Amino acid sequence: MTSSAVDPARLAVERRRIFLALFSALAIALHTLEFLLPSPVPWFRLGIANILALMALFLFDGKAAWSVNMVRIVVASLFLGTFLSPRFFLSLSGGILATAAMTTSRKLAGEKIGPVGVSVLGATGHAIGQLLCAWILLVRHDGLWYLLPFLLVLAIVGGVVNGFIADYLLENLRKMPAFAKDSADAVADE
Amino acid sequence: MALNDYWQRLTRLDRGIVVALLALCALLFVALDLRSPGQTVQVRQDQGTVFNAPLSRDRSVELQGPLGVTRLEITNGKARIVSSPCPYKVCVGMGEIHREGEIIACVPNRLLVQVIGQQSIDKEQRYDLISR
Repeated sequence: MTSSAVDPARLAVERRRIFLALFSALAIALHTLEFLLPSPVPWFRLGIANILALMALFLFDGKAAWSVNMVRIVVASLFLGTFLSPRFFLSLSGGILATAAMTTSRKLAGEKIGPVGVSVLGATGHAIGQLLCAWILLVRHDGLWYLLPFLLVLAIVGGVVNGFIADYLLENLRKMPAFAKDSADAVADE
Repeated sequence: MALNDYWQRLTRLDRGIVVALLALCALLFVALDLRSPGQTVQVRQDQGTVFNAPLSRDRSVELQGPLGVTRLEITNGKARIVSSPCPYKVCVGMGEIHREGEIIACVPNRLLVQVIGQQSIDKEQRYDLISR
């Protein structure tokens, strides 16, 4: 479906906006769903909302990933009623470090890194970000860092799972006209 | 093998990152195990120290808390909580501690059992005054 009467550059901008809005909404939905699911280990979240940030990163660019993640963290916390609570700051600091790790690694490694690598690094960043926030704001006990190995293992597992999901999704999305590289409808610039 | 199919989808760098992080994890776990054995068991309650004893001598102690009596036992240089009036018995499930810095906590009964050793004592001696 090509709108030949419209300036393609403007079209691309509008489509990017719309897709990022959709990604953000999906991320919020996944984040909320995950929060409601029971979990055997108190802090173990797969972080499936991060899949959308991965999609934004690989289909668009780093800025897109930041938008999706930051919007998701703030809005989801409003829905869940945890805005500005300690839980929110843990989520935020984890999210900031995770997104920073993801965008930086993609920027430095370019095509050499895939969704799984980026996702695992993001998950690690998230774990470290949460521990740092807990250290600074909540618990000043040295024993806190004994949690790192356990959180790191869970982060690696979650990161790999998310990465593969994102990988499959990207493979399928790229076949669609909106994201195919040489399509006239292409909206992505990667 | 299905697992190999997944491995194939990763770039070289991806594989390196995953392997490196797993190795780091393993190292951290080993480091947890390598902590030096401690010397004293210190029990704290509501910011005050309630009980102190060396790990070297076997003994059994009753610790009083708002919920009731928590029994702490020191045997063979290790400390553990034997029984406690809390609902989930997390403190009992924690098992034995003997390394410096290890902790068992019974939060409902407001007890914190920690093993301290020479390193912790040296650390505290760096301060002129500590108020709890």
